[in-house]
Amino acid sequence: MELAKTLQVTLNKKANPKTDLYVDLAQSLSGVFLVGFLWMHMLFVATIIVSPELFNSLSEGLDKYYLAQVGIPATILLIICHIFLAGRRAPMRLRDMRIAWRMTKMMGHADTWIWAGQVITALLVGIFASMHLWTVLTQWPLRAATSAARVASVGPADPSWGGFTFPFMIVFYVIFLLVGEYHAGFGLYRILVKWGWFERHKMGYVLKGITVIIVALGFIALYTFTKIAGGGA
Amino acid sequence: MGRQLSFSIFRYNPNIPGDAPRMQEYKLEEYEGMTLFVALNDIREKLDPTLMFDFVCRAAICGSCAMMINGRPGLACKTMTGTLPSRINLMPLPVFKLIGDLSVDTGTWFRNLQVRTESWIHTNKKFDPEALEVRMENKTAEAIYEPERCIECGCCVASCITANIRDDFLGATGINRVGRFLIDPRDERTDAEYFEVVGSEEGAFGCVGLMACDDNCPIELPLQQQLAFVRRKMAQAGLKLDLKGMKIS
Repeated sequence: MELAKTLQVTLNKKANPKTDLYVDLAQSLSGVFLVGFLWMHMLFVATIIVSPELFNSLSEGLDKYYLAQVGIPATILLIICHIFLAGRRAPMRLRDMRIAWRMTKMMGHADTWIWAGQVITALLVGIFASMHLWTVLTQWPLRAATSAARVASVGPADPSWGGFTFPFMIVFYVIFLLVGEYHAGFGLYRILVKWGWFERHKMGYVLKGITVIIVALGFIALYTFTKIAGGGA
Repeated sequence: MGRQLSFSIFRYNPNIPGDAPRMQEYKLEEYEGMTLFVALNDIREKLDPTLMFDFVCRAAICGSCAMMINGRPGLACKTMTGTLPSRINLMPLPVFKLIGDLSVDTGTWFRNLQVRTESWIHTNKKFDPEALEVRMENKTAEAIYEPERCIECGCCVASCITANIRDDFLGATGINRVGRFLIDPRDERTDAEYFEVVGSEEGAFGCVGLMACDDNCPIELPLQQQLAFVRRKMAQAGLKLDLKGMKIS
C-alpha cells in the first residue's frame, strides 16, 4: 500500500531507495574517523611533553613514510565531506533556527543544549581548522622549534599600532582546543547514542573523561611549547 | 493553608477571528495531592470557564492531557503540583495542530502515523476464530509489550527538534511502533517492506539523537534503545537488501 507521493519523492526513491541509509552511515563514519584523527593528533602533539626529540622524530617519521603527505589531504577531504554530511542536520533556514532555538531554551534539556553547542562549535571548528591548517602548512616541516615559535608568537608588535602586542596564537589554540574537543567528544557521544550499543549516561561519563584527559594533555603541551619558546630552543 | 500557585497559561483560540496568542495569569491555592489536571479543572470551574484543555482518563493511560509544563512536555494528570515551583507555565504541545489554549489535535497526526507505518500485523494466514491462539515465547511477548505500552500522548514528538522542524518525521513514537512489529513473529513483512516504511530520513535515519524523547517520555519507554534498534535493523536490512528480502529477526 502506498500513500500518495509527490513526483520528487517518487523520483528520489526510484533513483536509489537506499540513499538515506548510505548518507546516514557516511555521516557517522566521517564523524568517527575525524574523532579518531583528532584524538590521535592530540596524542602526537602531547609527545612534546615527553621530549622535543620524541616530537621531532615522530614528525620526521610521518613525513618520511608519506603519512603526512597522504594523511593531511585525506583529512581535509574528510572534513569537507563531514561538513556536508553532518551540516545537513543543522537547522539552516531561519524558520528552523527559530524553532530549534525556541525549543532548546524552552525545554532546558541537557542533551538538546549540548547539540546546540555542537552546531555552534562546528562553525568555530571549521574556521579555526582552516586557519590552523594554513599556518601549519605554510611553515612545513613541522618541528618542535617551529611549533613552539608559532604557539608563543605575539602580534602585531607594529609601531603603527603603538607597539601593542597580544599573544594571539596561544589564545587561538586554547579556544581551538576547547571547541574542537567539545565537538569531537559530544559528536562521538551522539553517534553512539544513535546506534545504541551502550547505555548513554555511562557512555557520556566515559567520553567526558576521555575529553578532559585530552584537553589537559593539550594544555600541558601548549605550556610546554611556550616554555621551549621562552628557553630560546 | 497551601501554597499560592500562579499559573501562566497560553491562551489562543484560532477559531475566534482576531484572537491573539497571549499568556494569561491565574492564581490558585494548592492543596494536598493536587495534580495539574485537578488544578486546571479548578481554574475552569472557579476562574475561567473558557479555558480549553484535554483530558479523559486522569490516570496516565489515555495520553490526552500532555502539555508543555514549565517548558517540558508531560502529562497534566501525572504531574503533582507539589513537584513544581509555585510559578507554573503551561503551553500546548508544539508540532500538533492547535485546537485552542492547551488543547491540541494529536489524533490526526497519529492517524497519519498509523497509515504510514502500517501499524497492523501483516499476515497471509487465514484467521480461524475456532482455532487456539498461536503460542508465543514469553520473552518475545514481553519484548513486544514494552514498546506497545506507548500511550500516544505526543510528548516525544513535541520535545523532538527534528519533528518540530520537519513535519514528515515519524518521531520516536512512530519508530518505536515499527520496532514493535519488527520483533512480532506474526508479522510477515519482508526486509524490503520494513525498509520502505522506516529506512529513510523520515524514519529511522532522520533521528539526530537529541534524546529529548527518551528523557521526557511520561511512561519511560526505552526510546533510545528502540530508535537505535530500528536504525541498526534497517541499516543491516538496507546493506544486504535485494527486493525479495526476508523476514528480519
